[in-house]
Amino acid sequence: MDKTKKKQITDFLINNGVIIVMFVLVFYTGLTADNFFTSGNLLNTLMNMSARLVIALGIAGCVITAGCDLSAGRMIGFGACIAGVLLQRMDYSGKFFPNMEPMNIFLVVLIVMVICGIFGSITGFFIAYLSVPPFIATLAMMEIILGINMIFTNATPLGGYVTEYTNVATGRFLGISYLIWIAVIVAAITWFIFNMTRHGKYMYAIGGNPQAAEVAGVPVKMTLILIYMKAAMMYGLAGFMLGAKAGGASVALGLGYEMEAIAACTIGGVSVTGGRGRVSSAVIGVAVFELLKVALQYLGMDANAQWIAIGVVIFIAISLDIRKYIAKK
Amino acid sequence: MKIETMIQQAGLPLLIFAVCMYYGIRLLVTQDAALIRGRDKKPLKDEKAYARGGGKIILFLGAGTLLMTVLSFINIYAAVGELVLCIVIMGIAWKRLADRYEK
Repeated sequence: MDKTKKKQITDFLINNGVIIVMFVLVFYTGLTADNFFTSGNLLNTLMNMSARLVIALGIAGCVITAGCDLSAGRMIGFGACIAGVLLQRMDYSGKFFPNMEPMNIFLVVLIVMVICGIFGSITGFFIAYLSVPPFIATLAMMEIILGINMIFTNATPLGGYVTEYTNVATGRFLGISYLIWIAVIVAAITWFIFNMTRHGKYMYAIGGNPQAAEVAGVPVKMTLILIYMKAAMMYGLAGFMLGAKAGGASVALGLGYEMEAIAACTIGGVSVTGGRGRVSSAVIGVAVFELLKVALQYLGMDANAQWIAIGVVIFIAISLDIRKYIAKK
Repeated sequence: MKIETMIQQAGLPLLIFAVCMYYGIRLLVTQDAALIRGRDKKPLKDEKAYARGGGKIILFLGAGTLLMTVLSFINIYAAVGELVLCIVIMGIAWKRLADRYEK
């Protein structure tokens, strides 16, 4: 075998090391645990993946432009709480708005996405027009959302949802949960935006080199606002989905989800240095992450130790991504 | 209010305060603008001065967060109002910093 081929194989193994190790772990778990390779477990894993995929697809847009979004977790909680107060049963004793009839579920999704989108566009404005680094702007927005949500809900947990809402998680179409269908539709729309629209091309151009993009006539500022707005709308939708799945919501819902989503994107191949990443990257990253969690549960690993394992995976994935960037440079 | 509830309520803002302190002080000490600017951004006239300015703004945000944490135990509306004001000031300050130092 010549040297070039050997190097190609070594690079492939190093660059995809995390994914390969994950698959080995999944196969090992499948062979040693009884109920791992079952359709029930697969559907359950897909259901758990669905909301996380929607979040990861939102964050992927920000990461492709060499940004990040730390407000995702709080935005998810906010979205879930808005949906929760609008979809409580009339006979529920702890109803937030006692005299208000539950709204139409599609209207609620729209309201949640619009409200979150407004906050996302404010974040985008801070990044694009006021030159605030994305890390700081989204950190600030995370605090604002947390405060607003605490005022809005009085920091009380919400419950007593109408069946139309909980059916979003329990209902099925062609034997597959609605949550999975929602994630598939969002992934398809995101794929279309990333690959078939001018906005998608602008996004990659900004991530590759923002200065060159500006010189080439790309409306950098407006594109950035749209990216953060779109991402926030997806967090709102994910909050709506998680609220339906949990049958309740609170200010704390979605805590830490942004870190998992950024990590999932990185594992899948969305570069934290910007300019690279596809919808399939987010799908692979989320799948690998979720399978890792399930496999560790099946292997009987302590819940706290699982966090350590996940942390190690994130650390290795980001180190490998930076290695790829340095090698390319 | 129980101590556990207080920790739960103040946990995230205190974490953000710690992050702001870390980055703010690191920027002031190392004066490395790349820490917050990333790559391929517009060149700067004076990288060290930009980093110092950025560090001060982040420290200001950290102080605002700490004040918000304290206010949240007294009046949550005042706490959120104070934070929004701090963030608006931070945005304007960052814009002025960029206008001053970006070529």
